[in-house]
Amino acid sequence: MNKTLLGYVPNESPIYAVHPFVKLYFLLVVSLFPMFVSAPDWNIILMVVIILLMWISKVNMSTLKIYIPVAISMGTIIFLSYTVLGGTHPEFELLARIWGINFYWERIRDALVVYFRVLPMIFTMVFFLSTSRERDIIVAMRSIKVPFVVTYIFAMALRSAGMVLEDFGIVRQAEKARGFDPAGKSIAYKIRQYVMYMVPLFALSLRRSEEFTNALVARGYAFTGKVSRVKRADYILTHYSYKYFDYIFIALITIAFIALLVYRYGYGYFQVDQSWLLRLLRSWVS
Amino acid sequence: MSENNSYIQVIDLDFEYPDGTQALKDINLEVKKGELIALIGQNGSGKTTLSKCLNGLYKPTRGDIIVDGLNSKKTSIVQMVKRVGYVFQNPDHQLFNNNCWDEIAYGPRNIQLSEEEVKQRVEEAIDVVGLPKVYHSEHPFFLSKGLRQRVAIASILALRPQVIIVDEPTTGQDTKQSLEIMDFLQELNEDHDHTIIIITHDMPIVGKYARRVIAMANARVMADGTTREVFTQADILRETFLAPPQITQLAQADPALGFDPGTLTVEEMVEQYIKLAG
Amino acid sequence: MHVSKIIEVQDYTWKYINTSVPALAEINLTIEEGSFVGVIGPNGAGKTTLAFSIDGLVPGQYNGVKKGSVKVFGKEVEDYDKGELQQLVGVVFSDPEAQFTAMTVEDELVFGMENIGLSLAEIKERLEWVTELTELSNLLMKPPYEISGGQKQRVALAAVLAMRPKILILDEPTSMLDPVSRGRIFKVLAKLKEEENNTIIVIEHSLENLVPLADQMILMSESKLVLHDKTQPFFQQSKMLLEKGAFPPGAMLFFHLLHERGLYQGEYPLTVAGGAELLRDLMGK
Repeated sequence: MNKTLLGYVPNESPIYAVHPFVKLYFLLVVSLFPMFVSAPDWNIILMVVIILLMWISKVNMSTLKIYIPVAISMGTIIFLSYTVLGGTHPEFELLARIWGINFYWERIRDALVVYFRVLPMIFTMVFFLSTSRERDIIVAMRSIKVPFVVTYIFAMALRSAGMVLEDFGIVRQAEKARGFDPAGKSIAYKIRQYVMYMVPLFALSLRRSEEFTNALVARGYAFTGKVSRVKRADYILTHYSYKYFDYIFIALITIAFIALLVYRYGYGYFQVDQSWLLRLLRSWVS
Repeated sequence: MSENNSYIQVIDLDFEYPDGTQALKDINLEVKKGELIALIGQNGSGKTTLSKCLNGLYKPTRGDIIVDGLNSKKTSIVQMVKRVGYVFQNPDHQLFNNNCWDEIAYGPRNIQLSEEEVKQRVEEAIDVVGLPKVYHSEHPFFLSKGLRQRVAIASILALRPQVIIVDEPTTGQDTKQSLEIMDFLQELNEDHDHTIIIITHDMPIVGKYARRVIAMANARVMADGTTREVFTQADILRETFLAPPQITQLAQADPALGFDPGTLTVEEMVEQYIKLAG
Repeated sequence: MHVSKIIEVQDYTWKYINTSVPALAEINLTIEEGSFVGVIGPNGAGKTTLAFSIDGLVPGQYNGVKKGSVKVFGKEVEDYDKGELQQLVGVVFSDPEAQFTAMTVEDELVFGMENIGLSLAEIKERLEWVTELTELSNLLMKPPYEISGGQKQRVALAAVLAMRPKILILDEPTSMLDPVSRGRIFKVLAKLKEEENNTIIVIEHSLENLVPLADQMILMSESKLVLHDKTQPFFQQSKMLLEKGAFPPGAMLFFHLLHERGLYQGEYPLTVAGGAELLRDLMGK
């Protein structure tokens, strides 16, 4: 298991044989699927498929707990916005009324539909982050001929983000070492202290940026001028080549997407009123 | 005297980071009031982690740290930092305020002292580090590295900790600046009764200033003794990948010459030569 | 054998736009191809600015006023096209973090080579050469947050070496490293000195590793070049070095103090072994 900027990746995994572009393609296309699917049943099936893929890829499932807060807070926000902030709708079926807040069946149903659309999207993202290193993203971009300048700026942004994260950890400790104890303090106080982190983070990046820029110049890099037009070889890409299974995966993902669209718009599948799960829930709550 | 002078006891300390890295293993040591200790070892040997355990930023995974009779596991961070101050290696990580005066007042205000007492402590700290008046209202960012470090030390001093740990105070400084910083830390030790622990890679500095050396390697304490004792244990030093200062190496180069293998400074070496050569 | 003067600095003065005193004043300096030069002096003496002036970072990246001339391979630094001089002069800086700009060691190493338009075959060959020289082969796939500062600094050195600059400048390359990492950087420099014909300029405070390698030394103080000589005669002037705030290594300082007391006449040793040898002679053992 190795730490990356945004998660953990396994030491060895069959998915490392797959070209990074395929992983990026999976992320970009499969996370669109739920947008065309309203019935939670199908979205749950997609989640199961992704969990299966993670299992095949030897992703360490215990590391996934770092994403639980994201999933929970998303769920909470969606639920609140459909109930507490949902307003009054005399035309809907009222299930309960607690502290003056109306809980309508239709609103809860819609909240569930939306949440089960968001969850598979989070799952595809987590699958991607748990099987790709930063370099894979850059390679994927370059393999579809994204200009070098763009990919390099992206890489530098990742690199700077890494440095800032590291600094942030130290700055927080430094604040504690000066007797700052957030326990039992008001929110306003905590926010003020939070803003104070920015001062050292800003100072550090200012000081580093000079040496960072100098290092780029010393490596012969220029964003403009004659040198920037040198025809550059891409050595890293030579490590990666498309195998026959990469083409099969790309084809499968594409076919699945087309099939989804055909069934959705051609035959009207994946609608809310076709959901077996929602029907079950409906009979259970009333 | 030795018993009641003891200020920190580290007992069977293990520390593990959340990702499972074992950073400290079986550490046992005692720090007495008034010591000037050098903590040496390669990067990653556990020096900084140990320091952060001593001031309560990290809590032991196993074992105990007792500071001034308080167990760090059961003591709030505020109570810990009033006793053990830790100055981070890079001053830029620890300067949060828009001018030096507020910077030094930041700690005392955090521990909720009255404004009057804050003022008194800031002035005392400024006086000890010798920060010229023109800088008091200056933004710390624009000061030289040496001055920023002084502000960082002053801001820890204002909490009046008995023990002050300074992480790599001489990194990036030239020899003259390094000697100035060390003279100042020695003064804090001798004239202001602070216990000083420095983390450093600079062996000539260790030889000149430290009275005790703790050498670490691979999460363990490999050697702990007077500077002379540690620098004469060549086999143990090799395990920590360290070498004594060059002058000590010269004194140890040929035992037949009769120099004390525990020679620590050039001046000591000259005195011995005069005696030995007649 | 004809030795070419690859760096020629004449009556050179440089003042940054935002300071009142010049960072460098009336510098005259000639360096021949293949020399290994050590530069010492207190912080703020102008060492870094001198390094930047030879690499074209000054005046390229900084605003200021220049007088006199700085020629590299007989051509004024400003007359080189953008990026052209950096192929001849490589610089390694002191902060290992800030110099690491990519997401793996390998990306970092090939970046410079791709910038100067090398072919894939050439990149592959140089990559193999440089990873062996700097012992980085097993770190190639590592991201920056998994390697130590000392390893990052070796990557910085390797990235510059891979561009095969004729002149290599290192600005306090080991000031942020521990003794082992420091030793490994100097080990690479020793190999370079032995096997290649690079001109190497090293700015350092820690002299124990530098002195045995350097052919010649430069002392900078208060924007001026105060002393430039072969290493041995340079340190014979230890009295002046100490006055200017530059401290010779311990063994050498010991012989200097003996000299001051009239107890020793002769050359100061450059290494501990040399010092022990001298002591045996002196003490008749």
